[in-house]
Amino acid sequence: MSVVDPSRQAGALYWPVQLRRNVGVRGLFAVVMAFLVAYGFLFPGLLTASGFAKFTQSWFPLALVAMAQAILMLTGGISLAIGAMVSLGAVIAATTMTGPLGVAGGAAAVTLTGVGIGAATGFIVVKLRLPAIVVTLAGSFIIGGAALLILPRPGGAIPEWLSDLLAGNTPAAFVLLVLIVLLWKLYLATPLGLSLYAAGENPVGAYRSGVPVDGARIAAYAISGLLCTGAGLFVAAQTGSGDPVIGTAFTLNSIAAAVLGGIGFLGGQGTMRGALAGSLLLSLMISVMFFLGFTPVAQYVAQGLIIIGAVAIPQFRKVQQ
Amino acid sequence: MTKSSLFASASALCLSVLLSLGAGSQANAAAKCIKGDRKAPYTIGWANIYSVPTWMKQTQGTIEAEVETLKKQGLVDKLVVTDAQGDANVQIQQIQSMIDSDVDAIILIAGSSTAPARVLADACAKGIAIINFDSLVDTDQVTAKVNTDSAQWGDQAAKFLIDAIGGKGKILILNGPAGVSVSDDRRKGADAALKAHPEVTVLAETNTPYNVAPAQEAVTSLLFANPEIDGILSLGGALSAGAVLALDKQGREQVPITGENARQFLELWKEKGLKSWATMQPNWLGAFATYTAVQALEGKDVPAFVKIPLPVIDNSNIDQYLARAADFPADGYIYSPYDEELFKKLLAEQ
Repeated sequence: MSVVDPSRQAGALYWPVQLRRNVGVRGLFAVVMAFLVAYGFLFPGLLTASGFAKFTQSWFPLALVAMAQAILMLTGGISLAIGAMVSLGAVIAATTMTGPLGVAGGAAAVTLTGVGIGAATGFIVVKLRLPAIVVTLAGSFIIGGAALLILPRPGGAIPEWLSDLLAGNTPAAFVLLVLIVLLWKLYLATPLGLSLYAAGENPVGAYRSGVPVDGARIAAYAISGLLCTGAGLFVAAQTGSGDPVIGTAFTLNSIAAAVLGGIGFLGGQGTMRGALAGSLLLSLMISVMFFLGFTPVAQYVAQGLIIIGAVAIPQFRKVQQ
Repeated sequence: MTKSSLFASASALCLSVLLSLGAGSQANAAAKCIKGDRKAPYTIGWANIYSVPTWMKQTQGTIEAEVETLKKQGLVDKLVVTDAQGDANVQIQQIQSMIDSDVDAIILIAGSSTAPARVLADACAKGIAIINFDSLVDTDQVTAKVNTDSAQWGDQAAKFLIDAIGGKGKILILNGPAGVSVSDDRRKGADAALKAHPEVTVLAETNTPYNVAPAQEAVTSLLFANPEIDGILSLGGALSAGAVLALDKQGREQVPITGENARQFLELWKEKGLKSWATMQPNWLGAFATYTAVQALEGKDVPAFVKIPLPVIDNSNIDQYLARAADFPADGYIYSPYDEELFKKLLAEQ
């Protein structure tokens, strides 16, 4: 009876492994914490329920698209259609939810569209072996055009109660984000999830070891699409309406958040917590610089310096070692 | 018996409802969103959508100048400026920050006609004066909206041109980008006048960005195709400058043309001796929005919508505009002069 219980052994390893995975993003975490403290100091209302709720609501859609981009970059892909997908999700939600489909039907339409377009993009990239950057660039025109066809001018509506539920004075957005992160942890424990990093870091090796590389990559595109249209639904609820170009800026911001969070362009490198911290920093910067009274020109400069700083700190460490 | 008492109580109820409505409307004499609990000096938040274009810089200049004036009067003590860099989501977050920092007034050019509606409703509920100008939001939860009328722009331009070519002839129409509301609305406004004059033939229409180079290129190719052109209905200042340059480069005679107060176009107008007409989206809409916000906070009633009459530049007053040209950037807009008297008149006229 001296056999070591394998689950206990795994449990003992879990936290050291997680800590080691934090190494690359420790600098970023420190910067984010500093900004959070500064924000709470400058705006004490942050610590009230409604202040916290409003703050997490402005961060939430960026957090989702950062995750959407991070999943793809982990598999060695990328998407330039993130913003268009957010817009599409927003206009579908704003045109269906007050119609005969209702909120449930609208949410289903948003989900199916996200998963469907994501999977289709993944299929084209993976099975036809086309560069993701080209496929998703072309995709962004098609998807953005579709959003404009559905809703040529800003309009539509979201039921008032849904807007109040998701983007009212309750931290519903934060609870949702925690749930999504937990689902991500669960996904990483499934065979497809486990294959994600392997498929990104060394696809050939992974394939020879029996990892379902293609399946893992297509699934990543589908999940990414779902996160994007979900972010669109949230933006529609937050604004109470649909706007066919509301998502445009999310494409670059999602890449910035992921890279800031230590996700490598070559695949298999980085952690989701890094991407989330990156998106949180981008969102925090806007509010903190406002409260510090920076002029718009100073904000442009400071934003660039902070991003370079957050990326460079861990590199300095590596060089010293 | 029961019936009549029921009737009596019903009518008493009606009467009391009417009375309370009357009292309510009296209490609402102040402008929308204003609760009367904010005292001077006020903090003004200017939520800009994109600060880079010259028009925006000049507009911010008029806001800053107005704030200086109001500071001297002890009405304003601080101006907070944000720039959403073109992102409507960032603009919402910045308006939220303005609410969190408890500014007294928000003036804004909206990045989306729908997206800021909910955050503005929150601001309005907190008694913050909101003045929305230039690009408007589809909501009534603001103190006032301020703008010129794009349809009127198109209508007046078309009428001038038709008159200038003697009611008949062949014309070109130069539009801004397709699908942009300002560009669409100006073009729609020109329709009625064009339909009323069947002898005016539209040879061709262009859609280009509001920049000189693409407009010049588009007009140049149209000049090759059309040897005879009597007039050009241009619905943007840079477009007009491009057209004049195209005619000039091709050695063609200048024709009557409409335009906007872009400095480059006004200088070409004088240099080439054109017969022309121009109007503008005055940059002082920003100063006027600031002034209106403070008036509302001071308890004055302000109209829910202030329509700004289009200032007109024609051959009778072009010299007055060019005399002030040195005060404006080379790629900027020479706006009509403004003062507090004009602002008072605009608020009273509505």
